[in-house]
Amino acid sequence: MAEPLWFLAKRSAAAAMICITFTDIVGNFATIQGNSMQPTLQQGHKDFISLLKGDVVFYEKISAPAYKYCRGDVVVLRSPTDPDQLMVKRLIAMQGDWVNVPGSHEIHQIPKGRCWVEGDNGNLSLDSRNFGPIPLGLVKGRVTIKVWPPHRIGRVERVLPEGQVMFTDIT
Amino acid sequence: MAEPAWLLAKRSATAALLSITLTDIVGNIARTHGDSMQPTLQPGEKNLLGFLKGDIVFFEKISAAAYKYHRGDVVVLRSPSDPNQWMIKRLIAMQGDWINVPGSYEILQIPKGRCWVEGDGGNISLDSRTFGALPLGLVQGRVTHKIWPPHRFGRVERVFPKGRVMLDDEV
Repeated sequence: MAEPLWFLAKRSAAAAMICITFTDIVGNFATIQGNSMQPTLQQGHKDFISLLKGDVVFYEKISAPAYKYCRGDVVVLRSPTDPDQLMVKRLIAMQGDWVNVPGSHEIHQIPKGRCWVEGDNGNLSLDSRNFGPIPLGLVKGRVTIKVWPPHRIGRVERVLPEGQVMFTDIT
Repeated sequence: MAEPAWLLAKRSATAALLSITLTDIVGNIARTHGDSMQPTLQPGEKNLLGFLKGDIVFFEKISAAAYKYHRGDVVVLRSPSDPNQWMIKRLIAMQGDWINVPGSYEILQIPKGRCWVEGDGGNISLDSRTFGALPLGLVQGRVTHKIWPPHRFGRVERVFPKGRVMLDDEV
């Protein structure tokens, strides 16, 4: 009588480990909240029904161990102001680049090991323009596709931000 | 004839999944390089058995998920200047605390979501005194024990840094 139970336990444990390993190494899904990446990504709201209307994206972690990110990628990162929160922003500049802070005349050089992220919706986004360049170690993965809702399924493209970044070999 | 090979494959896959799951959720081991945490942790001299030199520590990730760290814990974190490097430092101050930067008269308040880490080794340590308060999202786990070499086996204690930190309500 104990056998089917043991069998179920073994299968459940195996399934759990496969999921954990997959989400650790390959990638995971995330639902979008907030408008900072509009129009690229649209949010769902906090009540359960509206949550189903928000974009769900898949982000891959295979680039993560080598930190092979490119300027213009949309990435998932841990918020520097609240480690429990994940944010989705676009990678604008990498270490050594010079970035013009919008709305002022200063330019900053991104220190070693850090990067500059911004949301596509400039007006609403809390990002590097507020908290400065962030360590690349906070970036968890790269958003590759939107998987929900069905009419918005598609790739999330790498868009190089024009006019905002000077690469180190140019200056 | 295929059966023993299949059984071996299944067992290996299970072992791999189990290791990945455990190191992701429970904890992992790390070897110390460098002197920045002396005398608590020793780097050891180079010798033929290079991989056995230097203290090996176990760090747990169960606190990591909720970021339940305490002042005085020794933690493992990703370096802000090189995301492929890991560092081991002591957590000196948390968000909202006021800290005296050694060697100057200034006091800084640690911003939200960040923390201040220092190596026990003092001047030779590259830490928050060089790169400032770090996002808690970089911290990967808490060192609990030294597990190698055998004569140095033991717990790594939480040592509250006296006289360095003022908590927000004391200022």
